[in-house]
Amino acid sequence: MPFIVPGLLIAVSMAASPATAPSRFETIAKQAEAARTQDRVPDAIRLYSEGTQLRASWADGWWYLGSLLYDQDRFKDAESAFQHLTSTSHRGPAYAFLGLCEYENGNHDSALREFRAWAGAGWAGSPELVDVALFHFALLLTRDGRSVESLYLLASVAPRLGDKPELSEAMGIASLRLRYLPENYPPELRERIWLAGKAALYAAQSPRDFARADDFASRLERRYPGQPDIHYFRGTIFTFENKAAEAEREYREELTISPHHSPSMVALAAIDLEKANRVEAGELARNAIEADPENPEAHHLLGRVLMENGDLHDSLSELETAKRLAPDNAGVRAHLAMVYAKLGRSQEAKAESAALLALKNKEDLMAPLTVKLRGAKEKAH
Amino acid sequence: MICHLLLAASLAAAVSPTASAQKQQASSPQSFDQLLQSAEKARDEDRNDEAIHLFRLALVQNPNSEEALWYLGAMLYEKEQFAEARNVLRSFLAIRSDAGPAWALLGMSEFQTRQYPRALQHLQRAMAEGMGDRKELMQTVFYHVTILLTRLERYDDSLDMLQRMLASGAPDPTLIEPAGLAGLRLPYLPAEIPPDQRDMIAIAGKAVVALQMQRQDEVDADFDRLVAAYPDQPGVHFLRGASLAELHPDQATAEFDRELAISPSSALVRVRLAQQLIAAGEYDRALALAQQAIQLEPNRASAHMMAGEALIAKGDTSGGIKELETARQDDPSIGRVHWDLLRAYAASGRKDEAGKEKSEIEKIYHSNSSSHSQSLGDSSHDSQPPQ
Repeated sequence: MPFIVPGLLIAVSMAASPATAPSRFETIAKQAEAARTQDRVPDAIRLYSEGTQLRASWADGWWYLGSLLYDQDRFKDAESAFQHLTSTSHRGPAYAFLGLCEYENGNHDSALREFRAWAGAGWAGSPELVDVALFHFALLLTRDGRSVESLYLLASVAPRLGDKPELSEAMGIASLRLRYLPENYPPELRERIWLAGKAALYAAQSPRDFARADDFASRLERRYPGQPDIHYFRGTIFTFENKAAEAEREYREELTISPHHSPSMVALAAIDLEKANRVEAGELARNAIEADPENPEAHHLLGRVLMENGDLHDSLSELETAKRLAPDNAGVRAHLAMVYAKLGRSQEAKAESAALLALKNKEDLMAPLTVKLRGAKEKAH
Repeated sequence: MICHLLLAASLAAAVSPTASAQKQQASSPQSFDQLLQSAEKARDEDRNDEAIHLFRLALVQNPNSEEALWYLGAMLYEKEQFAEARNVLRSFLAIRSDAGPAWALLGMSEFQTRQYPRALQHLQRAMAEGMGDRKELMQTVFYHVTILLTRLERYDDSLDMLQRMLASGAPDPTLIEPAGLAGLRLPYLPAEIPPDQRDMIAIAGKAVVALQMQRQDEVDADFDRLVAAYPDQPGVHFLRGASLAELHPDQATAEFDRELAISPSSALVRVRLAQQLIAAGEYDRALALAQQAIQLEPNRASAHMMAGEALIAKGDTSGGIKELETARQDDPSIGRVHWDLLRAYAASGRKDEAGKEKSEIEKIYHSNSSSHSQSLGDSSHDSQPPQ
């Protein structure tokens, strides 16, 4: 069974409910469990339905009812069952299932909200559930225009899942910053999504398979040299390979095709800062902010440029904006602490340093979702 | 009766439920049986929208009615309301999981809603459950399984399906593009073919079909055209090489070498090239290529198989057996691996293990009673035992 096809996820064993129920309920609960363990699925569904009608607080009953319905692809019914679990101790995995059900029912905005709730509840669930939920979460992030976060999630599972067509397709859509789901992108995009996805997937393997990533990325570039986002993507692969000159060339090429491409401007500004070319770095960061005022990294980079130029007040303003847009970004906090210190605002510098330390203790903030996920998975396991 | 397929029913009668039917429902609630009867009558009389409305009403009273679920699902499918048809058919199959035609309609609905992995899973379930004597439905299912296997990068399985379809009937022009896509290992549906690749895929498809139907004159002409027109496209020389492997091994080797220059990180090309080189007695290069293929794709059974064959040919029997055992572990269904192991165990005096391999070979060849076919993909799909 392909990994993303939701199914047979009833892997979380749960403790039985306290035995204080009326005898009819107890009898049905026992019969339901027997039917489930003997794989008599229709009987089990009927009995769990009956049991949950008798006792609406029967969390295990709702759980198994939802799981069994889910495994039968009956997502509307499953969703109703899981709704009963959001105020119980099973709310973590229930949010994941709710997200999956909403996704399957075509309620994508609601699904995204459920997955965010799932993340907030600690990414709980069996390893199989986490994989499926995470994959769909990523798909929805891509659709929502949050392709970087989506790629973080997908890349975090890529080494373990390997070369799966569904995974590479999802990575292709996100890599090209297309706000589509696999079910609804135009057919004419198939080839470029496939090529970009393969390149991204191989680049995300462990160890990284840059030979194959390069094969597919070059093929993509040859096929679609004048299309938006192709050179930016090629540049990101080169960046992963620490080929800064090649990456820079690609980002610049992207800007000739897409003059307002803020990710390329941000990437180039970062390269410029590495080379101490603060003039161009500042120009690019400003242009990136103009093209995309909500881009935290653009504000961060401009803040850094201004700090290095000694323009501390303007730097502070940019870094504060970056902090507002990306409160978990460790780099922003570190630079804020430096600027406050230079301004002699030692209390605020200390506060930023403390925040940085707390965040660092919690997770590696340069890749917030990835590491959040890793931490959560460890807990879940 | 329940599994009666409505594919032939008319799609033309697009009328709303009649006012009288709705009025009757509102003023005097009908029993489930009455509703079902009315719905079936409406369906028989091609009043399809009314029939759908009545089946829905019947399901309110009896959500588990097999008749109502089936007919409603099939009618919604015919009206191209695929998402809703899919949901209804899922409920039907929760009750009647042995209904092959229902799995077929579900898979087709999922194909239309572009849930391709799930569509493939359910269409294959339809094949496993059987679809009675509904030839047209079977052909539709087989076709979609074939194109979905390619879409999900299972090219060798897709080529096997094509072989089965071609063996069971007259040449079908609708198979040309699926054959070309599978042969060139491009994971697109026919509807997703980029316009500038359509010609290449059509030529490759004709060549693959001709090859599988053993029309040698056409094979050569089509492949010559393909290679001449698209000499630098990935997959072209690999396909040509695979087509030549049996009858013209030297030319095949040259084609695989050309492909390797175009697709330098392909494990598959290395495996097929290693296979040619082993047959030609060039064991050192064969082993190097097999080992590179293993590095690229550690779980590709055929790479371990080639490494094992090369090692044994070079005199390293124990090393070779180790690789062959890895290949067997990765994919126990490859007959050639068991042949290799049978010989290697026998040569090493490991009679019991050789005996087990013999049994495995008999099982595999007993279950795969189809005639010999030439592999256009991975060596593991080559149905012939090694020389």
